[in-house]
Amino acid sequence: MKKFLIPVSAFLLCVSAASAWASPGTVLRNERLFSQPTSGSKVEANVAKGTSVNILSKQGGWLRVTAGRSTGWIRLLSVRAGAGGSGGSGVGDVFGAATTRSDPSRVVAVAGLRGLNDEDLKQAKFNADELARLEAGTVTTSQAQSFAKQSGLIAVNVPGLPEPKPAQSSSSWENN
Amino acid sequence: MKTKLMVLAISLASFSGVAMGFDFGKLLEDRLNQELNKDKKTQPAPAQPPAGAQSAAASPPTSKQKVDVGQLGFALFGDYSPEEENRIGKQISGNLLGAVPLVRDDGLQRYVNLVGNWVALQTGRKNTTWHFGVLDSEDINAFAAPGGYIFLTKGLYRRLNNEAELAGVLAHEIAHVTQRHHLKVLKKSSLIGALGQAASSKAQGSDQMVQNLIGNGAEIMARGLDKDAEFEADRVGIVFAARAGYDVWGLPNVLQDMAALPAKDNRTSLLYKTHPHPADRLAALGEAVDGRLDDIQGKELANRLYKIR
Repeated sequence: MKKFLIPVSAFLLCVSAASAWASPGTVLRNERLFSQPTSGSKVEANVAKGTSVNILSKQGGWLRVTAGRSTGWIRLLSVRAGAGGSGGSGVGDVFGAATTRSDPSRVVAVAGLRGLNDEDLKQAKFNADELARLEAGTVTTSQAQSFAKQSGLIAVNVPGLPEPKPAQSSSSWENN
Repeated sequence: MKTKLMVLAISLASFSGVAMGFDFGKLLEDRLNQELNKDKKTQPAPAQPPAGAQSAAASPPTSKQKVDVGQLGFALFGDYSPEEENRIGKQISGNLLGAVPLVRDDGLQRYVNLVGNWVALQTGRKNTTWHFGVLDSEDINAFAAPGGYIFLTKGLYRRLNNEAELAGVLAHEIAHVTQRHHLKVLKKSSLIGALGQAASSKAQGSDQMVQNLIGNGAEIMARGLDKDAEFEADRVGIVFAARAGYDVWGLPNVLQDMAALPAKDNRTSLLYKTHPHPADRLAALGEAVDGRLDDIQGKELANRLYKIR
């Protein structure tokens, strides 16, 4: 119940606070802001790589952002969410997932727990029982197909993506 | 002209890469022979009458002792067979599961297997039994091992908002398998040092031959892949998820979520160590995708996402 309330209240807050509820982001490549979430719509402004934006909302592969005095839609993959360089506690509310900051219960759940590390993995001893458990959970092709069918998932033909030319500047995890 | 030059430069670079790969392969083979012969020598000599002063151990190596690496069942050149890939993946997975067990929730495990197998069906890869497991760890990470073994942590699963995001994460890992990324790492130099030195595991079902190839425990999972392999898995994975009928923005949404995570968090230290920054992954994926997926309408299926206990 509590789990359910958090996203709902976050959603209500988003709706009621509307534009006041924005989360920070940074533009990752030289891009355009469109008037609608489609590349066929009017270009409102050009934004350069590195521009700070406020993310207002999200729709499919598009984010509605303000950059300076312009507001418009930009491709989801052209923006990184989060405070970035400003020393940041992450703000992920636009993306729905509660962050460590906005969901205190999660912090409690992890407190004192050490994450997975190199040494754990290096020292790991083969566990045949767990492997057997994993392999027993295997499903068949026809089970997967009927599972997909239940929710109307249909396989579509999508061509592979080309390998883009290399070289982009790299970000550091430290800047999060 | 400029592009021509670039193509030339790239092909030259990739040729030298191949050449290097072969050199490493040769190194690995020599080292393997050494190790195996050493093993032979230290084995107790078969009981035999003390007919002469010559003991078996002191005798010069006969042609029989020259080990044919082919006998190992592991090609050091060319591709591994599906059986070999599976054998390697099984050993890595058994070790990983020794470090972190599966979440004891059959409904969750079955759900993840159903989604994963549906996505894996879109890869066209044959002769593979895919295994998917949710690891009982609050760490935020996912892993793939050769032959079709895929894992994600409970910590990562908890952050997902819909089935399309799960499909996106699994598709990225599935792409590591179809692109044979870990096998490429194995063939390179990084693990030569560990060869033959892997701690002997007496555990039931453990495959010592493979263990020697992969180093200690599941350390191969802590080393990570190179950046380009991660970018490629994003690029290939997003297409697998789209082909399965899912909303194509599942994986990008997960990357956005990670981009916004605080850096100083134990749960992401291994992820940080083994992956490029999500902002770089988003940017690289953005270059590849551009407007190419604009017209694809997929399903998010938020309601079907299994609620973890």
